[in-house]
Amino acid sequence: MNFAKTEEQELLLESLREVVRRYGSEEYMQECDEKGEFPQKLLDALYENGFYTLGVPEEYGGTPCDMLTLMMYHEELGRTCTGAYAIDVVALQMDDMISFGTKKQIQDCVDSLNKAGTALCLGFTEPQAGSDSSAITTSFRRENGKVIINGRKTFITRADRSDHMLCMTRDPNAEDPKKAFTCWWVPMDAPGITIKPIPKIGWHMVKSCEVTLDNVVVNEEDMVGEEGNGFKVVMKNFEVERLVMAAIACGEATMAFEMAASYANERVQFGKPIGSFQLIQEKLFTMKMKINNMQNAIYKTAWMKDQGLPINTDAALTKYYCAQASSEVINDAIQIFGGIGYSAEMRLGKLWANNRICGIGGGTQEIMIHVGGRALLKEYKNFQAL
Amino acid sequence: MRIVVCYKNVPEELMIKVNADRTLDLSGADYKIGQYDLNAVEAAAGLAKEAGDSEIIALTVGADIVSNTKLQKAVLSRGTNRMIGVKDAALASPDVLTVAEIIKKAVEKIGGVDLVLFGEGSGDIYSQQTGTVTGALLGLPTINAVEKIELGEGTLRVSRSLEDGVEHLEVQLPAVISVTSDINIPRIPSMKDILGAGKKPCEIWSLDDLQADVASSTEIVSMLAPEAADRKKMIIEGDGDDEIEAFFQQIRKVL
Repeated sequence: MNFAKTEEQELLLESLREVVRRYGSEEYMQECDEKGEFPQKLLDALYENGFYTLGVPEEYGGTPCDMLTLMMYHEELGRTCTGAYAIDVVALQMDDMISFGTKKQIQDCVDSLNKAGTALCLGFTEPQAGSDSSAITTSFRRENGKVIINGRKTFITRADRSDHMLCMTRDPNAEDPKKAFTCWWVPMDAPGITIKPIPKIGWHMVKSCEVTLDNVVVNEEDMVGEEGNGFKVVMKNFEVERLVMAAIACGEATMAFEMAASYANERVQFGKPIGSFQLIQEKLFTMKMKINNMQNAIYKTAWMKDQGLPINTDAALTKYYCAQASSEVINDAIQIFGGIGYSAEMRLGKLWANNRICGIGGGTQEIMIHVGGRALLKEYKNFQAL
Repeated sequence: MRIVVCYKNVPEELMIKVNADRTLDLSGADYKIGQYDLNAVEAAAGLAKEAGDSEIIALTVGADIVSNTKLQKAVLSRGTNRMIGVKDAALASPDVLTVAEIIKKAVEKIGGVDLVLFGEGSGDIYSQQTGTVTGALLGLPTINAVEKIELGEGTLRVSRSLEDGVEHLEVQLPAVISVTSDINIPRIPSMKDILGAGKKPCEIWSLDDLQADVASSTEIVSMLAPEAADRKKMIIEGDGDDEIEAFFQQIRKVL
């Protein structure tokens, strides 16, 4: 079992660090965070250097890569740049559309990407439908050869800067409730759409929005995938999306740990570096242990995906663990820094706030247990111990 | 246009340890392409693109590090077409004349070279001599401190910033030029560049292949880190005029 990164992976991560050093500096990140602005300069640089479209097939302007390398990229971005969360995971968006979209819809995505823009936002969550995704009420109906959509979405990240929304809707008259859901390719500048950002405690560089659809008119050809199979479209890459969130969280935790470990060598109290006190050493020890565990889980699950093995359970286990462990590591880092760790000028506070969403977005901790718990029971139903 | 761009693999300075006797311990250090050499590689790539129908050969001299495949890919991911490494155990810490002789012989063996490019100095020793000595040995027009290059007809127009002005020269090819770090900002290799690098040719030549020998003209007597100075820990408290004057006088003594 070879745990070493390949030379190509090492060179890729070196290049990424250089992009972040030049275009994603902490100064620029702070400025974007304070103003609530999207870090476009960073995105432009990631696009120019091919990182933005990593994992997208070559014929759509990307550079194909395996899942393991994709996770290393997101982890390193999380480790080196406090704005990592702001960058869309284009590989997954494109895969959804390539798998289910029409030629025109795919071309729309490519056109957006070519101007270093955001191809799509996921129009899934509603005020009454978070974890309970089948409770969505945004509806569609047919009228005079057109399709009319009405409803209200919430926490739609990047709705303000996306050209299209992959919008999940329900046919209120569907006979079979399991076949009630259909996805539509909705242009975000269509009449009847209003977008209102929701103020958040973190993730200030991207807007998460309420999106109201008031008699929004689309065409039949704007259907994505098959009618009634909407869940298939949005669920296709859910597992990998969870892995990406875990990778970014792991990177954030590593950033916090590195800062804390360095500080513990420098900060002197009672005439000694605080790193010489056992309680600080214990924190650093357990922080590093958690980072190792996070990395191992992420890399192994990504490897499994690359081998074509199912990752439903492992993705849930990994996201759950990383959401929890990364939060603990960042919390411990703030503790090691003491009062100055609480300062708004330090990046740790932003990491702490930004990281908090990991246990909620992309599937809550509770849903991860629900997904994994049931699957594990099923797996071990006929288990025979030796 | 055929360009040979010379580079050196150097230890990552942040990973160099200093022993108690001030000698340097390089054993734990990773290696990288010297930062000033990256400017030369980028300059070569820019000229080749402008000239069209060009070839860039990255050339390095050293011991085992020359065969390091990651470093080979690192240079090949920056717009070069192929790489040649001259490798011998005796070339771990060669002096300037040795390296220049070897580069001269390599350039002659490659043949048809229009331009030999160097950075302003190696990333470790930074003697800033190798390009100039190589040019002298090759008997070619040799210019250093170049911060701008433009392509002419069989010539290059170069600019050099001097103490009292900027000098503009037109130099006949073939020539040997050392560039400064002001000439460009080296590219960041993309994933496509990195994946493509592994497919480009690499050749390792021995000293026998060049009929060269290691003839040192210098001997390194010692290489030590500077002596660590203890902090004076002098504290002047207060923000009155007298305190500021006392602070100023202390600074003045050491400047």
